[in-house]
This record gives sequence, C-alpha cells and structure tokens, in this order.
Amino acid sequence: MASPARVNVSERLRRIESITDAALAHLDFEELLEELLDRICELLDVETSAVLLLDDSAQLLVPTATRGLEDEIRQGIRIPVGKGFAGRIAAQRQPVILERVDRTTVVNPILIEKGIRTLLGVPLLAGRSLLGVLHVGSRSGRKFFDEDVKLLQLAAERVALATHVRLAEMERATTEALQRSLVPTRLPALPGLDLAARYVPGEGNGVGGDWYDLFVLPSGWPCLVIGDVVGHGLRAAVVMGRLRSALRAYALEGADPATVLTRLDRKVLHFEPGAMATVLYAMFEPGLERLHVSSAGHLPPVLATPGGEAAKLLELPIDPPLGVRLGQGRRTTTIAMPAGAVLCCYTDGLVERRGGNIDNGLRRLCAVVQARPAEDVCAAVMSAMVGSNPTEDDAAILMVRRETSVELAPLELVLAAVPTSVREARVAARHWLATAGATPEDRNDLLIVLGEAVSNSVEHAYGPRGGEIHVRLEHAPPDVLVTVRDYGTWREPRGRGRGNGTTLIRACSDEADIEHGPSGTVVRCRRHLTGQDAR
Amino acid sequence: MTIANVSVRADGTSVLVTIAGEIDIDNADDVEQQVLQAIDNRMTGVRLDLTYLDYMDSSGLRILFNLASRLKVLQIDLDVVAPPGTPTRRVLELAGFDAF
Repeated sequence: MASPARVNVSERLRRIESITDAALAHLDFEELLEELLDRICELLDVETSAVLLLDDSAQLLVPTATRGLEDEIRQGIRIPVGKGFAGRIAAQRQPVILERVDRTTVVNPILIEKGIRTLLGVPLLAGRSLLGVLHVGSRSGRKFFDEDVKLLQLAAERVALATHVRLAEMERATTEALQRSLVPTRLPALPGLDLAARYVPGEGNGVGGDWYDLFVLPSGWPCLVIGDVVGHGLRAAVVMGRLRSALRAYALEGADPATVLTRLDRKVLHFEPGAMATVLYAMFEPGLERLHVSSAGHLPPVLATPGGEAAKLLELPIDPPLGVRLGQGRRTTTIAMPAGAVLCCYTDGLVERRGGNIDNGLRRLCAVVQARPAEDVCAAVMSAMVGSNPTEDDAAILMVRRETSVELAPLELVLAAVPTSVREARVAARHWLATAGATPEDRNDLLIVLGEAVSNSVEHAYGPRGGEIHVRLEHAPPDVLVTVRDYGTWREPRGRGRGNGTTLIRACSDEADIEHGPSGTVVRCRRHLTGQDAR
Repeated sequence: MTIANVSVRADGTSVLVTIAGEIDIDNADDVEQQVLQAIDNRMTGVRLDLTYLDYMDSSGLRILFNLASRLKVLQIDLDVVAPPGTPTRRVLELAGFDAF
C-alpha cells in the first residue's frame, strides 16, 4: 500500500476543502458530525473515527458520534479524563499517536474487540477550554504522520466550533425550558384571590434563577413564594428548581414560614454548597384575611389597600438569604390583608438598574401599585418599571389581590367522584365563602352541606367506573346558593350509621331540596348569611 | 389527601385521644383504625378531645357512633370533648350525639 503521507499539493488542497467545505454549514449538528467522520475515514484511509464530548462536571468523555465504533455509544462507554488513550489526549490537550493497542494502552475494550491496531487522536478545543476528543483508528495498522495530525486537527477545529455553538444553544434552550416548566405563566385558580404574574429574562444575562410559586396546602392555606437564586444560566435554573421543590416539601409538613425557610436553608447549606438565594414565603389563612410572611434576604412586597392611601413596602424584618450560614433565628410576621388589597411580590431585577439607585426603583414601584385588578396592576408595573427599556437582570412579579364580595364570581367546580374530591371542594369553598363575607359559623355550616352532598355523590352515585360531580356556589345577597349535581343512579346508603348526611344537610341550610331523578341527583340549598341584607 | 393527626396519651386505665385536622370520607377509615388501636380492653375510660378538629362531617360521626356502641358493650366510659363554638360541637349537636 502506498504511504498515505506522500500526497501532492492538489490532493492536499482537496482534502482540506473536503473538511472546510462551506456546504457543511447547512447541516445540523448530528448530520455535520456524521458527514465529517465519513470524510475523515475516507481521507485518512482508516476504518474508525469517533467524537467524544467532555462531561465537564463528571470529568468523563462521552462517545457522541462515531463511524465503526457504534458499540461505544450503544453500551454507554465512559472514559475518565487522564485514563487510557482518549483520556490522555484530554488531560494533555495534545495529539497522541498509539502504535500498539492493548490493555496497557487503552481502557476501552471495544477498541481491542474491533481489532484496531493503530490510533491517532487530537483534542477538541474552544479557546482554552476542552470540549472533547476526536480520534481515528486503523485495523490494518496504518502509521500516522505529521500531515495526518494536521488534517485531523483541522477537522477538530471544525467539530469544536460546531460543538461550542451547539452547547451554548442547548444550554440556553434547556435553561429556558426549565424556567418555563417551573415558573408557569398560567397560575392556578384560587377562589377569592385574583392573580397575575410576569417573568422576563434579562437583556444581558438571559434566563436566570428567579421564580415564583403558588400552591394550596392540604389544610386549605394558599401559599405564595418568590425567590431569586444568585447567578445565571442553567446552573442557577437547576438550583432554583431544587429549591422550589424542597420548599414545597417542607411547606407540606405544615410548619410556619420561618421554620420552612430555616429547613430550606439547612438543605441549601448541605446539598448546594456555594449557592445563595433570597426567598420570600407567605401563607394565607384559609379565610384570606391575614397572611404570615418570612423573608430570607428578599425585598419586601408592596401592599396597596383600597381607599386611596398610597401603596407601601411591607414592614417586615428581613432575615439573611439562604446559603450564607448566619446562625440567627428566622422570623414570621403577620400582615392584615383587607378585601380588595393588592400585594405585589417581585425580584430585584425589576427595581435595580445599572447606575440607578434601588430606593428610586422602590419609590417608582410603590407609586404604580394600586388596589386594582391584578392583571391591570401587573401591566402598569411592567410598563412603568420596564417600558421599552429591558431589564439587565431577569425579573419576576407575582401580583395577588384579595377579591371583594361584590365582584365574587360563582364558584364552579367539576370534580371526579372520588373521596379526595370532598376536601378539594371544601378548600375552594372555604376561600370563596370567606370572600363572600360569611361568618365562621355560616362557613362551617355551608362546608358541612357541601361536604355531605359531595360525599353522597362519591359514595352512592356511580359504579366503579366513577363519574363527575358538578358543584356551584353562588352569592345572591343575603343568601348563598349551593348546588351539587351528579349524573349517576342513586342507590340507598349501605351499612350502619349511614344516613346522617341528609339530616345534616337539612339542619345546616335554611332551605334544602334533594332530588333523585333518572339522570342523576341534584342537591340545592339556600343559606342566609348572618348580617347580610338583600342588595 | 385529607389530614388528621391522632395523638394518644395513656395514663393507667384511661387514655386521652386527641384528633386535630379534618375528617371526611377520604381519611375516616384510617382515623377510625388509629383511634381503635389506641384503646385496649383493660381501659376503663376513654377521653376523645375534638377541640382542634377543623372539619368533621357524617363520616366522622360514623366513627363516633360506632366507637360509642362498641365501648358500651365493653363497659368502657367515653367522654367526648367538643367545646361550644367549635365546628365539631355543632355537628355533634345536630346529629344528636349528646343524647346517645
């Protein structure tokens, strides 16, 4: 066989053009790698070629594309940096030629199994950072010369450039997808609360670690969270995702906000060393009249109450951020939230501008927050604080307004006929009844009416296939009208001690009508709310 | 998931069972098991404290009626604590539990 190193000038040019071919630019990343590996095999007269990309955090080389070594990818081979042939190239960042392939020179058994006798590999570099390794192998034991190394390095530059672009794109797309999935623009419907939110990525830094969250605890307490993980990009977004779920888990344990943040801090210090975050966690009482707040280094929310008084920053002790190891107790503050009041929670990206003063930002924010519908206030805040001047840092806003009884829309729920639906109906009704202005006694009685009616449908309406239960609560001052409807076939209660339900429904309402028909059961009740007059 | 916390403090031949949280059809069987496990047949008295129960409907009443009739057979005294003004007191009164 003629020595492949002996090539004339025009052949050399053909080879270079083959690798730098502009047409390759139109291929997507995977296609580009495959096309390049094909051409390299042909040009260098070798049987195998492979691209291994570096998993930076684990310091492992991961086979990503190959010709002739497909088993490497199928079997999930991983080569530690510093070990074997590819590991040595990565560690030294220098080309390596191997003229003897056996257990003493390579760690990857597939190279031996495939009968490869000589290998040439070069590092994939982007500036000073290592992206991976490109190598070729010959079963005939072909020798590699300087010209081969140069040609492979030329190909490596091409691969490194594409990889670099690809990694940056992937990181941005992944961060955005993560942000979008964890910080939804669509908020859950919470009866009695009018909600709106915004998230905008920063102009300079893109998507980062800001988040907000809203959930209802099994006890019926609605909770809200706003937070900011220091840093940007995928790492900040990943830490944010972990904090978000850890906070939810601690919240479920039923502790007060200061305790939840203390536990979350302990988690950050142990499992996310080096991470830092500010978080504000607030729990509404089920009647929505008051909320309990604790702030870990987070800016105080703005509260606007109806009646024309200017909006103010909440007077709230601010405890240290999470992750800073300052062993002092965290505090919970109780805040009154009158009907119609608006609470504006935000991250610092909204009020901080380069060269600007944060106090000016806070003053401007207070001036624009008013006790009006949440979506309107959100739009007004974005217009005043951001306008057409994008924020440098990412920014999040969560606007919460307590609805008033006048504007209260009927509560409509479609529930599955399963036992957990009884609590679901109760949680929603508790918030709704508080907003309607029902006294605690009225509330308790109406919750019994609702609970019994829904329980009846769950237990008696449907067979094992189940079905739907439709619930409607309407405020027609001075009355609340409750309708619970199923579409099943009623059967008499079974077992001992059943049948108290109907008695309780009648005792807890001023008027109750229970109708069993061929197309289902409807329970209709009316209850006069104490102290309310007809409008 | 409806949550109730059942705590038990036994003192010689009597036991104090405190139920806090909520009881509906979702967790009633579970609560009933926990209450029954707290009582053995050497007891002479059971005190059931429902002061901290935020919600209870007929599925809770069912537990109480069943428990009361079982304890009557076993000749164990049952004392239910539900102070005036609590949601549970109202349900007990409406169902005639005090007359049991």
